[in-house]
Amino acid sequence: MSEEIKPNEIVDFLKPRVGARFKMWLGICAHCGLCANTCHYYTANEKDPKMIPSYKIRFLKEILKKKGNVDKDYLQKVYETVYYECNMCRRCTLYCPFGIDIALMISLLRALLFSQGMAPEGLVKAIENYKESGNQMAVSDEDWVETVKWCEEEMAEELVGLEIPIDKKGAKILYTVNAREPMFYPQDMMEVAKIFYVAGEDYTYCSKPGWDDTNLSMFCGDLKTSKMIVENTFKRAKELEVQQVAITE
Amino acid sequence: MDFFLFVEGPLLWIAFLVFIIGSIIRVSMFVFVSTKKDKIIYQHFSWKYLFSTIIRWLLPLNKDIPKNPIFTILAYIFHICLIVVPIWYAGHITLWEESRFEWSWTAMPDELADWMTLIFLGIAIFFLLRRIFSADIRLISTFSDYFLIIITALPFLTGYFLTNGTLDSITFFSDNIQLIHMLSGELMLILIPFTKLSHYILFFFSRGASGIEFGRRGYSI
Repeated sequence: MSEEIKPNEIVDFLKPRVGARFKMWLGICAHCGLCANTCHYYTANEKDPKMIPSYKIRFLKEILKKKGNVDKDYLQKVYETVYYECNMCRRCTLYCPFGIDIALMISLLRALLFSQGMAPEGLVKAIENYKESGNQMAVSDEDWVETVKWCEEEMAEELVGLEIPIDKKGAKILYTVNAREPMFYPQDMMEVAKIFYVAGEDYTYCSKPGWDDTNLSMFCGDLKTSKMIVENTFKRAKELEVQQVAITE
Repeated sequence: MDFFLFVEGPLLWIAFLVFIIGSIIRVSMFVFVSTKKDKIIYQHFSWKYLFSTIIRWLLPLNKDIPKNPIFTILAYIFHICLIVVPIWYAGHITLWEESRFEWSWTAMPDELADWMTLIFLGIAIFFLLRRIFSADIRLISTFSDYFLIIITALPFLTGYFLTNGTLDSITFFSDNIQLIHMLSGELMLILIPFTKLSHYILFFFSRGASGIEFGRRGYSI
């Protein structure tokens, strides 16, 4: 955690990331207010004007205008808005006459805060886990394969002949899960195995990183880790020569 | 040179040139910077999603009509009047005919122009009051939002006074109303490229970019 906010750091971070669209959007937003009642935070907070999507992105405009000269308290205010008053659902964009993508700008603000060491603890921990193990719960490859095997054994008692394929080359579907499933809810994986078996689908899990389809780093704008997670899954899909990747839920 | 002649001649040229060149620069800047920093638009470029989103929002075929019918329909009428009256008003066309370009096209009836002007001004006042009295809109409004409504409405207000001689009993206005009308129009043209009014052209690029962004996920906005 950096105590002092360095304006040039903020500027250097934003410069390559604030593209032509962001500049245009900040310039042409007519402040018409059509986005107000499209926001569920707005309607759920007794139509609090502070929840208007157009209002929430004022921070980006202000930070750019001040050339990064903001203090910790200011960034704390930004933090509270971008994490607790917007979940980047993009509904406002669907109703904006100019199609201004507010969520994209909120995401950039989250990324900026992350670069300044400000992010929810849970997400930071998950990102560490992704980097270390490729999944958000830091499940080791051995534990993962063991869990799948154990699920198979449990289910085989119920459905004779049931198998849960791992690393089956040429399968039609690569099935990926939320890393919470092997950790806390293996019964979900069992249910899915049952469905796949009865439906006669040709699917497989993969044993190496790429089996976790959650991408929590995206939520704090950590695009580098975000990319790594997606690339892992693509790599596995290519190796196993599958036609489709299916994700859980 | 007489101030009137300046406003009528060189300043008009300046205003139109600032408007046209400024708009071209705004668009070129967007295209230039976006090819470097917003590659996603070009990687997923699709005429289909680009056109469908622009047409849906140029015509009243979009989601806002059922969601906020009154405001949206007023906004459409506002923009139609804003574009139609200055271009097809007979008095303006006469000036184009007399100009060095000698351009000419069919005029709209003066009475219709009058009515559209009044409707336009009515809606402009509604927008202004809405900004002042609605707590929501007041919070997100900046100085330029109030200022630009007035700037946009002024050419229409003064134009109405000019053609109808409403203020002719006051000597100052009967002498200068044409000057004020020209100045207000020129001011608006000059401000367009530098303010949110540039949305008249950037609308197409903004919608296009988001249309493609949502289109790459198979959803047409």
